Amino acid sequence: MASSQFAPPYLKRTSSAASYANGANLQHRRSLSTIPPSRPTRSPQPPVGMTPEMDRTSDPSFKGKTPSTGTGASSQHSSLSTSAQPRYDAAVERPRKLRSQYPRGSTENHVEYILVASFDIDRGPVMEHQYPVSITGDEHMLAELMLPDQAHVRNQDWTIFFLHKDTSQEEDEAERQAKEERKARRIRKRDRAKGIIHESDEEDEEEADLDDLDDDDWDDDESTDEEPDGFEGPPLVYVLNLVNTKQDKTVKRGAVVKAMAICTRHPFLHIYKPLLLLALEEYFKAPVPETLAMLYDAVNEMDLSLMPKLTWLERHLLQSSENKDLFVEKFEQMIQARISGRSGGDVDQPLDASKGPPPPPTVFRSGSKAHIEGHAAYVVPRDTHEFESKVMYKGIPIPVKVPVAVMPEIVGDFSLIKLIQNFSDSHSKSPQTFSLHPHLTTNGPTTHPIIVLINALLTQKRVIFLGHNMPSGDVAEAVLAACALASGGILRGFTRYAFPYTDLTKVDDLLKVPGFIAGVTNPTFEHHPEWWDLLCDIPSGKMKISSKIEPAPITEGLVYFQQQNPAYANLIHNSSSSGSASNDLTGDAAFMAGILRSITTRAGERVIRAKWRTWVLKFTRIAAAFEESVYGASALYTNDEQDANAMGAHGHGYVWVDESTKAKELAGNVTRIEGWRNTRSYYSFIQDVAQLSAIRPLKGLDLAHLHDRLRTQRLTPMQSKEIYDTLARHVHSYDEICMLLSVAPESHTGLFYVALGLFHKDRDVRHRTAALLERVAEHEAGQHWWRILSRFEKLAYARIKREVEAEGKALVEKGEGVGFGEVEKRVS
Amino acid sequence: MGASLSISSLFGKLFGSKEVRILMLGLDAAGKTTILYKLKLNQTMTTIPTVGFNVETFTYRNIKFNMWDVGGQDKIRPLWRHYYSGTQGLVFVVDSSDHNRIDEAKTELHRILNDLEMSDCLLLVFANKQDIKGAMDPQTITTKLELSKLKERPWFVQPAIATEGEGLTEGFGWLSDNIKKTPKYGGGGK
Repeated sequence: MASSQFAPPYLKRTSSAASYANGANLQHRRSLSTIPPSRPTRSPQPPVGMTPEMDRTSDPSFKGKTPSTGTGASSQHSSLSTSAQPRYDAAVERPRKLRSQYPRGSTENHVEYILVASFDIDRGPVMEHQYPVSITGDEHMLAELMLPDQAHVRNQDWTIFFLHKDTSQEEDEAERQAKEERKARRIRKRDRAKGIIHESDEEDEEEADLDDLDDDDWDDDESTDEEPDGFEGPPLVYVLNLVNTKQDKTVKRGAVVKAMAICTRHPFLHIYKPLLLLALEEYFKAPVPETLAMLYDAVNEMDLSLMPKLTWLERHLLQSSENKDLFVEKFEQMIQARISGRSGGDVDQPLDASKGPPPPPTVFRSGSKAHIEGHAAYVVPRDTHEFESKVMYKGIPIPVKVPVAVMPEIVGDFSLIKLIQNFSDSHSKSPQTFSLHPHLTTNGPTTHPIIVLINALLTQKRVIFLGHNMPSGDVAEAVLAACALASGGILRGFTRYAFPYTDLTKVDDLLKVPGFIAGVTNPTFEHHPEWWDLLCDIPSGKMKISSKIEPAPITEGLVYFQQQNPAYANLIHNSSSSGSASNDLTGDAAFMAGILRSITTRAGERVIRAKWRTWVLKFTRIAAAFEESVYGASALYTNDEQDANAMGAHGHGYVWVDESTKAKELAGNVTRIEGWRNTRSYYSFIQDVAQLSAIRPLKGLDLAHLHDRLRTQRLTPMQSKEIYDTLARHVHSYDEICMLLSVAPESHTGLFYVALGLFHKDRDVRHRTAALLERVAEHEAGQHWWRILSRFEKLAYARIKREVEAEGKALVEKGEGVGFGEVEKRVS
Repeated sequence: MGASLSISSLFGKLFGSKEVRILMLGLDAAGKTTILYKLKLNQTMTTIPTVGFNVETFTYRNIKFNMWDVGGQDKIRPLWRHYYSGTQGLVFVVDSSDHNRIDEAKTELHRILNDLEMSDCLLLVFANKQDIKGAMDPQTITTKLELSKLKERPWFVQPAIATEGEGLTEGFGWLSDNIKKTPKYGGGGK
């Protein structure tokens, strides 16, 4: 009998290569049929903070108030701005109405399904119950995923897996059209908004409302009105699963193994862990569908409606900031709106009946009720990175913390620090030598394993995390961390091809996926090097490049680069030489040393994530520079010619100190950049760049480039004047300032280099920089950047300020207005 | 075949402790996991159904056995093939008291042995649960499993009572003798 006849019938699914497709027949979540008719109504009860700490409860007069954390700097500033300063009214500061990420009355449930599976001693894994309806697709396969290998040797285990829900072509088409319409409307709106500061246009308001509602209704996934949608297909269903094994003498063969899973579209599925623990325990006592229903109702009643929705710029700022007060005003504003029960805002406004499905009747207009409940019921989070809420389960309030800035590819709860340490410790003791592969070993045979890993992810290799004798939850966590590492919240196309926990039953499907990240506990995978390109063994902390990995092709880009830079051609890493090993052309060795130093000095997870984000961003910018120099153009940087001209040409792209540094760094990166091109993450990045460039502020201006020039290059006074002038001339609005802050993160130097303009020898430059900094200081996020500005820069600012005022007075007496006034005119 | 039942020579000890990979298969509830832990820990454990697999390493007669025990429910049997590559010995466990399923066991066994990746591996059959009344004897098991069909492959049927540890050392004695003879292990073949 040939082994091919061995294929079991249930592995012969004709699912698309990239999908486990068990959710293939899931109804689209927009269709009401997936929602049970007796959908529980959301409790209008507001979330109550878990602590009695009230020091941050919203201040009714919060508008324009200085946060309690403000230091002398801000008051110094406000004392300065007594004269005719460009005071920004609310319309300028918040061009968009503040909305909830998960508004009340939304048709979206937090959790879509609850499943229970068990290990039948005769049949293996079987599905026992599903609630509210059966999750169509391959039930048996789901049950297998819910009962991970070796569940019988531990009492408890967690797994995570993703379901790829396919939609019909029709639905896809309808969704795309709707998105285009919304986009067109947004563009119209934006165009109209351009130059209009005091926006009171009735029609505009109305349209904005429609727009808002529309968005809330449709786009609770990664595509907000600000962010590119990508073409990755429908959002994933994330599944968090808990398995318990209970020894029980009374049953045949002595044990019961059961698993309960929560299926959600929210990437923060880890918040449900305590609930699953309680509910599965409950299910052992009462193995009936009602137990599932109780959990389902409890989690869906979780109220997140006071969590403000942030734009992509705001999310990036929050994500890369350590500051626990950043955007605290938005939370206060949400509460304020809830308390005053203001109409028109979607905070408590139900969906427009003509737009979406009718809202549950009990939810809307709860303003008066909120009033009764009183002010003290609302608490602003202690850390604005997390929104605190609770789930009432069997009368017990279970506190949950939901991340506010959800970035693409960041799923669940994991630790980059743990991942990095796991694969650094044994390497630092005795450096591991890899067999060479141009895409992976960019620093030669002793390339740091984490760099090998990120290279493998960028070049779309098949990566397996193996954790023999480990809980499957641990390998899943490593996979999720790896996705975040490679993505940095910037690149996409990793989680969609990630299988946080999988086993041999899925290997045939897994191998159809070109490039994946999978977590397994079965060491058999190690015996099959034809199944993977990079194996990361978690217990030993070692990585292995497969003996069967496909060799990297010689690409045109590589050849062109060598022809263009004959002097550096021999530095390029290829399998026959390890030229780049010793001199760290990529800078990765130094980078890793820095990361490890930060970890030893107890830098937090957020700091490390921000550093990786910087690495990924730098990689994309180097890739863009490479493409421009080798191919003459790059889609990784789209700069609208017209916009660029309108702004005046100021250059763009990554900045190097000099040409030879550039050539060396490119030489170190050539092979992995060439390996990255033609991958999923490369193409989705191009789409993201194109879409972002359509909606981002300051089109045609590369702020990062300008800031990098200030930071890295020796500039003549003329050159720096040009840059400072450009910044001062163009950075005005709320979004523009956000943009500026995003290229000068607090964790680096903040606005240090921008503020150096205060010392420029040209008086006008000094004055314009002071005006720019003033705008920043008044900005909701910018105030925090202002606060950490160095003391000598603040003093310089104060001095200039006095100078200007003195001059202003003198000039007013003469009847002319210059200096700050000039700027002011442009603003209004 | 039966002829390879000779007592191991002292020379066997000269071949250090190289690791050999053993795969243990059989229908569900045949006693695989009990055998594994009896060998590894010399303890009778109360086992529960294996979800997936167990793997343990132990040394016997200077040979390091890396032994895999894979769950036997019929739904998960198709996964067995993933464990074949690199396997030097197959331990097939039969519940000798289960007359109803001996045919099923035969089919599964021949399906395994027909796989190309298993063409060179030794076969040890444990006729387990000999303590149960009405258990088939090794001769009957040999006939029922149609072992006479196997040609080049060394095979051996060992009666056993896993819970008592009876027959296990004998079975692994045969296995180690024959492993030392295989070219892979440095032996001169037959």
